Amino acid sequence: MDARVSPCYFNHPQRVFLVTPDEDLLQLLEGLWWPGCMEFTLFSRAADALEQLFAQPPDLLLTDQRLPDMTGAQLANLVKGENVYRQLPVILCLDHEDMEYPWDWNEVEVDDFLFRPFFPAEARDRINLTLLRALRALDANPLSKLPGNTSILQRTQDLVDRSEAFALGYVDLDHFKSFNDKYGFSRGDEVLMMTARLIVNTVRDIVRDKRELSFVGHVGGDDFVFIVSEPRAEAVCLRIIEAFDGLVRGFYDQEDRKRGGIVSTDRQGNVQHFPFMAVSIAVVLNPSGKLRHAGEAASIAAALKKKAKESPESSYVIDQRRA
Amino acid sequence: MQEDLKTLVKGQVLAVKDLPTLPGVLDEVTKLVQDPDSSTEQISKAISRDQVLSAKVLKMVNSPVYGFPGRISSIQHALVLLGFNVIRGIIISTSVFDIMQAAMKGLWQHSLGCATACGIIARRVGIEEPEEFAVAGLLHDLGKVVAIVQLPELTGRINEAIQDKDLSYYEAERHIMGFGHDRINAWLGRHWRLPANLREAMARHHRPETAQHYPEITAAVHIGDFLSRAFEFGNSGDDQISYLSPKAVNVLKLRMADLERIMDELAESYLDIADLTF
Repeated sequence: MDARVSPCYFNHPQRVFLVTPDEDLLQLLEGLWWPGCMEFTLFSRAADALEQLFAQPPDLLLTDQRLPDMTGAQLANLVKGENVYRQLPVILCLDHEDMEYPWDWNEVEVDDFLFRPFFPAEARDRINLTLLRALRALDANPLSKLPGNTSILQRTQDLVDRSEAFALGYVDLDHFKSFNDKYGFSRGDEVLMMTARLIVNTVRDIVRDKRELSFVGHVGGDDFVFIVSEPRAEAVCLRIIEAFDGLVRGFYDQEDRKRGGIVSTDRQGNVQHFPFMAVSIAVVLNPSGKLRHAGEAASIAAALKKKAKESPESSYVIDQRRA
Repeated sequence: MQEDLKTLVKGQVLAVKDLPTLPGVLDEVTKLVQDPDSSTEQISKAISRDQVLSAKVLKMVNSPVYGFPGRISSIQHALVLLGFNVIRGIIISTSVFDIMQAAMKGLWQHSLGCATACGIIARRVGIEEPEEFAVAGLLHDLGKVVAIVQLPELTGRINEAIQDKDLSYYEAERHIMGFGHDRINAWLGRHWRLPANLREAMARHHRPETAQHYPEITAAVHIGDFLSRAFEFGNSGDDQISYLSPKAVNVLKLRMADLERIMDELAESYLDIADLTF
């Protein structure tokens, strides 16, 4: 069996900057992946790499600690010190004598290290893992830790490309803003965390077979997405609505619970009444693969959402258009 | 001296790691979580009959990890938010009392009896979420369970005092420790970040007139405790009749006729649940 990593391991070829005076290292690494999986660019000095690092940051920086013009640790800090490059994963190559004393990883901002003599299989898997770890961390919603926009788009596009039937549900909350305005954002976050958990468990409870299609993502704010097979969509909607309506009252203070919502006065002095928060769900279907692009799903959902929002109570609308 | 004891006891109480339960409900829930066809409703119904499992589930869902501490007071809601895997974890890590089981059965039955009464009262009064009242009733003597586990020596002395001095459990606790299980409930409720309504009911069910924010649920637990004792459903540690606060009855606007109807309904419910195994 070929121990090289296949090109479809990652979604697109990974660009790796290799900064080392050791040319053998490049050869060793290149043999570990199938062609088309990784694109290595070799720099023998840090100074040569810097401009390109800033202008077109790669997916991974692999740097030797021993460089002619600075240390690898200094190079890492130089790049990762800037907020826009903080997400760039860096692996530091060390020699045995570098490992004599404990490193202060608080000071040296790298993500992993390798040390000589290199054991090819270890190098291969550490690099793969570092890349995937960075991808996951990059796209997770900071609050709910659910996959974010990049993953949602990718997932949808994959299904569209394969002309697979699926149901894509867009979930959002009605009157969330009035709740946030009255109770503050940390109380708002509580509701978002609850909603995330609720969608995840509902989908997991309905789709018990791990091989069946199921995905939950967090677009941001009070917008969530789930993907299930078409026949599951309605059950998921009904269960989310039932659970949310039962749970949401507990997030209001006692007076508002008794009053049935929030009463507030706007800047013009008008008294407004906002009922309890509710969920609106718009479900886009892809029967016989009619969608051509993930973006199409979003615009159909936006139109459906208007319909779902017409009702002040929790409601769902499933796309009725057939191909 | 008294204050030192209180600090010491509080430390021991809050250090509780393993809160065991009785095998009956645990076995049933274990079977349910292993069955891929069982529903959340079935599991939550079963867990709602066991004070320790219910307390563990609520402690978990209200922990800061989930991001909404102090918000969830219903078992059904907790299960939806925790999910099967976490529930399975809680069940697997719950052990069973090995000794004194017979003595404990009464306490479990009394707690379930109080929960049942609270649910009936809540529905009769027209409360929007009667399940929260039932949960508060179920947990009202949790402090006793924790004391049995964490303070075996003091518990022994309390039981002696009940026998020798003909005291109620509550009086004996205060005689021996200077405070009762209502105080232990308050510590646990705060430490575990349980919702404020459950905390107040747990901490003030012996003195419902001192309830500040949630007088109704506190009054319901007080009456539920009284009724469950009056019917001698289970045993809460002594065989005294507890005091019924007239104010608690007034808070819920209950008239004599309402109480009679509640008692009729309760008598029937008790017949239904009497043969449940613990």
